[in-house]
Amino acid sequence: MTDLLQLLFAGLSQGAVYALVAIGFVAIFTVSGVINLAQGEFAALAGLVAISAVGSGLPLLAAVVLAVVSVALVAVIMERLVIFPVKRMTTLVSLILTLGVSTGLKALMLLVYGPNAEGLTPLTPGGFSLGGVSIRYQELWILLIAGVVSLAVYWFYERTLAGKSLRACAEQPVAARLVGISLTKASLLSFLIAGTVGAIAGVLASPLYFTSWESGLTLGLKGFVAATLGGLISVRGAVLGGLLLGVLETLTAGYISTGLRDAVAFLLLIIVLVARPAGIFGRTAEARV
Amino acid sequence: MTRRLPRIGAHRRRSRRGDVIGIAVVALLMLALPLVASSSVINVGVYALIYALAALGLSLLMGLAGQVSLGQAGFFAIGAYTQAVLVTKYEWSGLPASVLAVAVTMTAALLVGLPLLRLRGHYLALATLGFGVIVTVLATESDFLGATSGIFGITKPEMNGRTYNSPTEYYLLLVPVVLLGLWLARNIVESRIGRALGAVNDSEVAAESLGVDTFRLRVQVFVLSAAYASVAGTAFAHWLGVINPNAANFPLSVKFLLMAVLGGVGSVYGAVVGAFAVEGLDDGLRRLIPELLPGAVGEVQLIGFGILLTTIMIFLPGGLHQLWTGARRRMAGSAPEPDDDEEEIHLEPVADDVPLLAREGRPAPGTPLLEVRGLTKRFGGVTAVDDFDLTVAAGEIVALIGPNGAGKTTAFNMISGAVTPTAGEVTMAGTRVEGRKPHVFARAGATRTFQNLQIFASATVLGNVMVGRHLRSRSGMLGAALVLPARREERAVEESARELLDLLGLGEDADRLAVDLPFGRQRLVEIARALALDPDLLLLDEPMAGLSGTERRELARLLRRLRAGGMAIVLVEHDVEAVLALADRVAVLEDGVRIALGTPDEVRHDPAVLAAYLGVEPEDEAATAGAEAGTP
Repeated sequence: MTDLLQLLFAGLSQGAVYALVAIGFVAIFTVSGVINLAQGEFAALAGLVAISAVGSGLPLLAAVVLAVVSVALVAVIMERLVIFPVKRMTTLVSLILTLGVSTGLKALMLLVYGPNAEGLTPLTPGGFSLGGVSIRYQELWILLIAGVVSLAVYWFYERTLAGKSLRACAEQPVAARLVGISLTKASLLSFLIAGTVGAIAGVLASPLYFTSWESGLTLGLKGFVAATLGGLISVRGAVLGGLLLGVLETLTAGYISTGLRDAVAFLLLIIVLVARPAGIFGRTAEARV
Repeated sequence: MTRRLPRIGAHRRRSRRGDVIGIAVVALLMLALPLVASSSVINVGVYALIYALAALGLSLLMGLAGQVSLGQAGFFAIGAYTQAVLVTKYEWSGLPASVLAVAVTMTAALLVGLPLLRLRGHYLALATLGFGVIVTVLATESDFLGATSGIFGITKPEMNGRTYNSPTEYYLLLVPVVLLGLWLARNIVESRIGRALGAVNDSEVAAESLGVDTFRLRVQVFVLSAAYASVAGTAFAHWLGVINPNAANFPLSVKFLLMAVLGGVGSVYGAVVGAFAVEGLDDGLRRLIPELLPGAVGEVQLIGFGILLTTIMIFLPGGLHQLWTGARRRMAGSAPEPDDDEEEIHLEPVADDVPLLAREGRPAPGTPLLEVRGLTKRFGGVTAVDDFDLTVAAGEIVALIGPNGAGKTTAFNMISGAVTPTAGEVTMAGTRVEGRKPHVFARAGATRTFQNLQIFASATVLGNVMVGRHLRSRSGMLGAALVLPARREERAVEESARELLDLLGLGEDADRLAVDLPFGRQRLVEIARALALDPDLLLLDEPMAGLSGTERRELARLLRRLRAGGMAIVLVEHDVEAVLALADRVAVLEDGVRIALGTPDEVRHDPAVLAAYLGVEPEDEAATAGAEAGTP
């Protein structure tokens, strides 16, 4: 029982990180139909920037803020340089473009920060034990901050005009333009959100799960799976999908085999997508002929 | 009319010659390299040749099936590991081992592809990425495969007492393999299979309606693509002598993708050129970057890959192939396109009742062909089609009319398999087809055209119609690859397609791109394409729209002749007068409900129909009585 609780708790905090990455996928996909393969790199980059800032003497909080701001900036620049100029954005083009950015960012991190994995200083070091379940303070921070950020993003989409206009672009691009919403601005804004949320995921995860130049790959893949579980266009779905994936992974690692941990996400992706017809996903409604 | 000679096969033949030139140039360059280059450059060339095979497979997958794989290295690794195990643990010799390695990989690809290829676009790409990750994980976890350190001691191949152990020797061993790979790939692209897949990329629903089993073909290309990767993997294992989980690494998949994209997606020799360019870049950056940035270690060349991938997609989405074709076109000067005057079509003046496309085995006139029972479609709260019944017999023309939004096209979509009904049954020539794919409908002997055209944009008019012959020809992937048995059939297919085009007055446009034709003629291309299937039942969705008066009369005459030949025709049409003059029976839909069915005369005088069309609001009872009278 204690084992189960321990695994569930660990799974939730891991899942909260996936949830944040997943929100980034959702933010961009809903507006432009682009799956941003660099989403995981946003998180890795934020972790590495924060680590190196702390290493050069900056206070932890300042380092975290610096990391989040600079990654948000990177996301915005990426949108302007790579997404904006393309007139005919097909699935194939968008995948290759964002793959290019992802590869470039990876290599940049390798060149600047070297090949080793490191962990950021936790916000609060140490932990405690509650009824046999050992809990690290950082895990509580992850859950708390991820919860607040998710709620904030959700509130933004549901309650603010800017958020509603982003949803309008996703649902009715033509009508949105007719009422004066700029798709280019919406796309830029969606990358800003994705960069910020991804960066927060990165700095939160780094103390526990470590960050290296290539840790964005699996993180991105899992964030995508989480987003897909939730239908790829819903913030709430992305959060639930992230938590579910995190818990399933730790349960697999705990009860079956650690090695299979990374296989769970993939299997889940296949099962969900194949078993449930395309109709439940907003974008893939039956083709009009 | 005769002043313009038909340019038979000009377009296709030119592109074929372009391919042959491309392959010949690539072959010469490949063979020239060992004569001029140092041994370290040839070593780079060896890797380029190995990776070219994997990139070629990926290029086929992207170009033909329109799908991106981010896990090509996974299949590369499966091939390499199988080879390594067979050679080191079971002491097989290289050649039989590689045959088994390719077979194992293809089986794996089939097992992976069957679930994966139900996914599309983004999902498929990410799923293949996941597949690559899994292969890495499995290789790392497996003690049998040597875990992280992998398998050592794979010897250089020996054949006829000759050991291929120097870069030059190995390079020259690989060149013919790559050329063979190129030749097979090119044949497949040019074949019936390649044509069908190209059509799928342009309009999946139209290709399916002509009988193309998209899923099956996609799986085939996926397996083929994996086969190329596995050949590369076996060559890699022997050259390096050791194989470890890095072979399934994501950066390697990215490298294959870059090679294919740089060369030009779907251009077969482009993948080889791309492979040499990328390997050259890889080698250069690995030397250059540590000099510029002391202390840089690891896969630093990725920075170049990332930048190159992005810039190509933005500035040169067709890759080097685009540069090459662009340059050739400029050298040749812009070829004068035939003038675009929109002449009316002039068919041979033949009497209305001379049968057309009659053939043996066609159901006798009056035999029920299509039976629709209780067909219903709800979109959310809206019922687009409600409990629709219709029976169509061989040799009759049935029209489906009704105001805009009455549900006519939705009914068509359900009958032809493009849309799954909420309820109801559709039986075509004894086969239940509702909720299945359009190709099932086509196999049962029926096809359709589309209201908003679904022309295959990247094909010529002739190419469009040839896709229609898909079910009337049979050469598969293997036959196509080996070309010989398929040649004859291709000629027959082309001939019958041309005959149909002549019949519809499109003969002179045969070799133009179909999208360059005026709207009305594109409709005729769709009809010719559908007729190429030689169907027993033809569904036409607004065939008259966009046609001139003469063209409409010619089309009506054609439909009558088809009817005389025994074909059943159902058409949705807005031109009510044309329809009443043409059809044997007319069904009227309003708000998804069939309010009348009968001969044109009966329908013309049906009060419910008049109300629906003229907006007269009859008293409720009269309307109900009328609707009942119209329903036999």
